[in-house]
This record gives sequence, C-alpha cells and structure tokens, in this order.
Amino acid sequence: MSIAIDIHDLSVRFRERGHTVEALCGVTLSVNAGEVFGFLGPNGSGKTTAILVLLGFVMPDEGEARILGENVRNPIARERIGYLPEKAETYPFLTGRELLRMAGGLFKMPRAALKKRIEELLDQVYLSEAADRRIATYSRGMLQRIGLAQALINDPDLLVLDEPTGGMDSLGRMEIRKIIAALRARGKTVFFSSHELSEVELVCDHIAIIKDGRIAARGAVSELVPAAESLEQYFLRTVMRSGTRTGGAV
Amino acid sequence: MRRVLTIAVTVWRELLRRKEIYVLLIMLAAMLYALLSVNIFGLGTTARYIMDLGLLMACFFTLVLTVTISSRQLPDEEKMGTIYPLLAKPLTRVELLLGKWLGAWSIISCASAVFYLLVALVVRAYGGSFEWRTLAQGWVVHLSGLGALAAMGIAFSTRMTYGAAASMSYVVIASSFCMLPRIPEMLVGLKGARATVLSAVYYLFPHFELFDMRLRIVHEWGMVPWTSFTILLSYGAVLTALFLFVSWLGYRRKHFQRGAAL
Repeated sequence: MSIAIDIHDLSVRFRERGHTVEALCGVTLSVNAGEVFGFLGPNGSGKTTAILVLLGFVMPDEGEARILGENVRNPIARERIGYLPEKAETYPFLTGRELLRMAGGLFKMPRAALKKRIEELLDQVYLSEAADRRIATYSRGMLQRIGLAQALINDPDLLVLDEPTGGMDSLGRMEIRKIIAALRARGKTVFFSSHELSEVELVCDHIAIIKDGRIAARGAVSELVPAAESLEQYFLRTVMRSGTRTGGAV
Repeated sequence: MRRVLTIAVTVWRELLRRKEIYVLLIMLAAMLYALLSVNIFGLGTTARYIMDLGLLMACFFTLVLTVTISSRQLPDEEKMGTIYPLLAKPLTRVELLLGKWLGAWSIISCASAVFYLLVALVVRAYGGSFEWRTLAQGWVVHLSGLGALAAMGIAFSTRMTYGAAASMSYVVIASSFCMLPRIPEMLVGLKGARATVLSAVYYLFPHFELFDMRLRIVHEWGMVPWTSFTILLSYGAVLTALFLFVSWLGYRRKHFQRGAAL
C-alpha cells in the first residue's frame, strides 16, 4: 500500500512576544493511501501547524514531510491535493461558479472539462441553484460547501480538511460525511482535523491524537478505542496524560 | 501564463464589483463640471485651464487608485484567509505576484484611459485644441510609471500591512515629485559627505516625476523625441522589474502563521 502522507521527526518553532513556542516537536506520522484519517487534538495542540507544513505554508525547522511521494516544498506535490481551511472564507465578490472556474484555472484544467466538473461539483454540494449568486450572500454552511467544492475541483488524490464541519448544522454535516464516504469508495485519501469526535468516529479508519505538539496516540480506531469506551472518552483520557500510544500499545 | 491570467481576472472582478473606479470617474466628472461652473481667477472656461486641471485630477486619481489597489492585494488575501486555499494549489508565489500586478496595472490602465478621454472630450466640448499624439504619448508614459508604482505597492505589501505599504508608497511618490527635482540645485556648491549622500538619493530613488508629461500636453510643447520616449519606457520597465523582483524576495519564503517562524 502506498503512503499518502509521510511526516518524519517534524519540528516547528515560532517566536511569540519574545518567547519561543514549540508548535510541533518530533512529529512522525504516516497515512496510507485510501484511508480516512482523523487528526485530533485540543485547541493549540499543533493540528493546524502540521497541516500548514503539509501545504508548504510553514517550513519545518527539523524533519521532513512528503505528500504523495513528493517533498511538500515542491509545487508539483500540490497538483494532486485539495484543501479546505478551517474558516472557509473566500472571495465575497465572486459567484460560486466563478470561484470554481478560478480554482480550475489554477490547475490549468481544459475549459470543457472544467465546465463539466463545475456542474458536477455544484450538484454534489447542493449549490446548483445558488451558483450564480455572489458568495457574500451565502450562509455559513453554504460557504463551507463551496469551499469543499473548490478543494475537490481537481479530483484530488489527497483531500486535507481542517475542521470541515465547524459551524455546520446536522444536515450539512451529513452531507460532508456523504462526500467523504464517496471519496473513500473511490480510493481517495482524506486527512482531516476536527474537534467533533462524533464525526471522526463515524468516518475515520485511523486517527492520531496530538497534544502540545507531540503525537500522543495513533492507530486504527478499532484498535485504539476499547469497546467499552467512546472515542470522546478515550480522547479525553489521552490528552490528560502524557506518552505516545501506537496501535493500542503504550 | 494561465495561472497568472486567472489571478489577474480575479483582481479585475474584485475591482469592478467594488465600484471604486466608477466613484472616481464620477468624482472626476463632477469636479470638472464644478470647475467649469466657477470662474476661478477670471480664467473662465479657457480650454488650457480645463486641460491642466483635468489632467492633474486624472493623474492624482490614478495615483491614488494605483497605490490603493496594489498595496491591498496581498494583505487582503491574508486578512480574508483566502491565501491558504490559493497557495495550496499548484500556484507559485511568482505567479501570484505577477497575476496581482498584471490585474492591478491593467485595470488602472483602462481607468486612466477613460479619465484622459473624459478630459479630452470636455476640452473639445469647450472648443479647446491639443495634440492628440502628444496626449497619447503622455498617456503611454503615464502607464509606464503606473506599472512601476503598482509593482512598488506590491513590494511594500509583501512585508507590511495595507496601511503601512500605502503610506510608504505615498512618501516615495511625494519625495519624487517634491524633493528629487530640487536635488541638482542643492548640489551646486556642495561638497563632501552631504553631496555624496544627496547624489546617492538622487540616483537611487525612483523618479516617478519623469512619467508626468502634463506640462508638455497642456502648453503644446510637442511630442517627446522618440529616443527619450523609448528611454523613459525602458526606465519604467526596469523599475517595474526591479520592484517585482523585490516583491519575490520578500514573499518567496514568507510564513503564513501566527507569529514569525524562527
């Protein structure tokens, strides 16, 4: 099985108000192709920093990160990924359709194929009727869905989602779950960070829990979480203690 | 190239929908009308006076537009958070900078064409005459200067907030119009370190005042010789390239995260 994400001994440090903050400290993680991988952790634990390293926004101080076999610094690595940030803020002056056209243009998609893909995606995220409305008029859920559509424009092999269901209602969450399930069925890899443990439990094969910039646990959900416990109970227990637990063994 | 054009088209869409250019056009028309209605210094509606003030306002508005538009392109992307999905695509930072510059410069060029045309039409309507070729040459030279100015605004904004970048741009423009032309006079009879410093400032600072051909158009002094015209355009192109290169240096390894990476 090929590896979609390979992070090795990654460390990132930031300076904030004269202090050095270790955002990530020796993080090692790998995600197999075709997995739906949940990246969990409390606020400020380093989830978003790890994602920003994967996308080449932040250069690591130590270690290396590769996506789909390419170093994250190489723009070619971004040809096959899609990304939805935590706050799916986008250009309010564009319409939904124009945003998708712009996203497709950045992938140099042929015009006829792009047109067809835009219609497919608008249909998939239930925004066909609002496609020609300015994004400024979209609700929070609609913003998240158009953000997801732009992340999927290139039919990515790896989809990185940062808090994809944040601020969405139950229906919106269900729609996102359906999209993730459809991607999994097509052998795509989904890497997503979330606070919503019930969502993670429903869609993820594997998880990693990060705490204070270090991986506290990682492995298959079925192996990590005892039968008598929910993921939420396991998560709380894990973040309240130190040490790394891999595949059920400390 | 397609990625650069995609970014440029998005800049166009934003600016057309924000309606700032229309507001400035309406302001220019209103100010021209107001100036024609009052008889300042007894000049009445002489065509030269209208041309002078009209071109001055057209230049002023295009300068303001250029600084405003170019300085906010990158900070706005970061503020809105749209920089993340944008750079997560296979778009290099050079392509982003070029797209932003091309979008800003091309729309300002169109706006300045409309401003010049409006002034020319008003002058014609009041029976004035001017040399179309000199006006066209003045417009092209003006565009060359605006290209360099747009690149400078983008260069400042790679490492500054919108407000700081715009302020810095205005300081450089004011210096080049008010201070730089006086330096040769100040250098007469001056020796030593002060002369060296002033000379360095004179030669290192961008001379945006060179791209202003208003006096030549208004007083009908005729066209600039083609050699000088070509040198001027080349100077504009070199300044633009230099500022875009500085932009790239400032942006190529910029981290997008709270705080600065060590």
